[in-house]
Amino acid sequence: MEAPPAPAVSAALTDTEIRVSSGFRGARIVLYGAVFDPKDRPSDIVVIVRGPDTPLRIARKTQVAGLWLNSRPVVFRGAPGFYRVASTRPLQDIAGFAPLRHLGAGLEHLAIAAPLEQRVETTYGVRDVVVSRLGADYLDWRRAVLRLKEKAGLYAADPQGVRFVDKGLFRAQLDLPAEAPIGRYTARIVLFQDGKPVSIRDRELIVEKAGAERALYLFAKDRPWTYGLVSVIVALGAGWAASVAFRRS
Amino acid sequence: MHFYLPIAEVSVNALLLVALGGLVGFISGLFGIGGGFLMTPVLVFMGIPPVVAVASEANHVAASSVSSVIAYSKKRVVDFKMGAVLASGGAIGSFVGVEVFRWLRLIGQADLAVSVSYLLFLGVIGGLMLIESVGAILRRRSGQPPKPRRDRRPLLLYALPFKVRFPRSRLYISVIPPILLGVFVGILSAVMGVGGGFILVPAMIYLLRMPAPVVVGTSLFQIVITTSLTSVLQAGRNQTVDIVLATLLLIGGVIGAQLGARASGRFRAEELRALLALLVLAVGLRMGADLFLRPEEAFVLMTGTAR
Repeated sequence: MEAPPAPAVSAALTDTEIRVSSGFRGARIVLYGAVFDPKDRPSDIVVIVRGPDTPLRIARKTQVAGLWLNSRPVVFRGAPGFYRVASTRPLQDIAGFAPLRHLGAGLEHLAIAAPLEQRVETTYGVRDVVVSRLGADYLDWRRAVLRLKEKAGLYAADPQGVRFVDKGLFRAQLDLPAEAPIGRYTARIVLFQDGKPVSIRDRELIVEKAGAERALYLFAKDRPWTYGLVSVIVALGAGWAASVAFRRS
Repeated sequence: MHFYLPIAEVSVNALLLVALGGLVGFISGLFGIGGGFLMTPVLVFMGIPPVVAVASEANHVAASSVSSVIAYSKKRVVDFKMGAVLASGGAIGSFVGVEVFRWLRLIGQADLAVSVSYLLFLGVIGGLMLIESVGAILRRRSGQPPKPRRDRRPLLLYALPFKVRFPRSRLYISVIPPILLGVFVGILSAVMGVGGGFILVPAMIYLLRMPAPVVVGTSLFQIVITTSLTSVLQAGRNQTVDIVLATLLLIGGVIGAQLGARASGRFRAEELRALLALLVLAVGLRMGADLFLRPEEAFVLMTGTAR
């Protein structure tokens, strides 16, 4: 006897490339998808969009002799530069701890690579950079990373971000701020039934600079010294031009 | 009208930046300062990463200062020789400063260095200038003759070797003090994103004893050279100069600087100094206040690791 076809999810992004140019103030990513399930069971959709991972450094302000100073920064290797999770209803109603943690769905389940042990290393020519094990404080630091990223508009969770527009057909909407990092993003679309992920699809999204922005960005990265000289010449030229203009007036 | 800045990677209101550039340019032309000490904090407050603000501001200060220098040189109040000596020190200072700033970023103490230097230098200089200029204004009001300039007894500094004649400033002094002064200002230029006029101007008057009329133009001339170099070094070493940001600022800045240089003739020198002192003091205290106030957020994310 043939097994009944398994439930499946399929989805597509309306744009797979976001071009950042001078007018860029952020973008809206729209994703459409469909659930194929012959048995027509109740379904939940979770969409997780992750930007490229970047090492990040975070310091804690501590009071030393009445002054608020930064502690030595702690390096987290590999936290997504951008993270959005959208779902049909609050994640804790969709599934339990284990599947959410496994998928990294939701800010509290987001895997941020924490420093594993304390060691002193030489980074970029600077000696004695402490890469420390945070121990009992770990959760405070982790929460701080999430909070600061959320405040910057780079991390967010939207429990109403996915809506069924018709039977089996859904639409998700995720906002990308102007500060979102450049690079390769992945959108993971997960179909949940009875609290279990039953079908997963991955889609790619590329955010790249375009036009003059891209040219200037590449110029500054690839030929920094020439770029520096050009920017100084532009500055001095503008100053000189202004004084000429004012002499005539 | 919003503009996306390619290096800072933030979207900003272009008209606001042009207007800010104009305002700071006006102040810069009026007082003969670069204006960086005002603009850098404002840019940071607007959400531009501090490292980009500091580096791009050096570029902007160069532009607004060059336009003022041209205005001052027409009045023949720039001592180019003294400016060149100061700038040779400034070049050394800006090399050192860019490396120091890079290192401070890596150990996470760049914010601290910026707050402390603003508080210390602006607070002290602003306070001293205020006391001095208010004293001068009060003496004039009460009809007393201006305090005679202390006789030019040779300070220890002047006993140093390598004496050079500076005809425009009517000085015959060792080049060591101006070079050291230049080094110091060059470091500040890289760390604080300023030209350093607020240090240079009083130092030239009270330390080098240059005649007041040539001080401002000469200080600006040295600032042009030092900030140009800082800007190239920041771009080359830290890749933090945003040319779009600098250009937006300088569109307003160069115009403002011209208007400011023209307006400066309408004020008495003491009153200008008193106004500048208040401004310097206010910015220094504001930047330093963060050191003493309990932060709202206990953690700080540091922008990127250096390349």
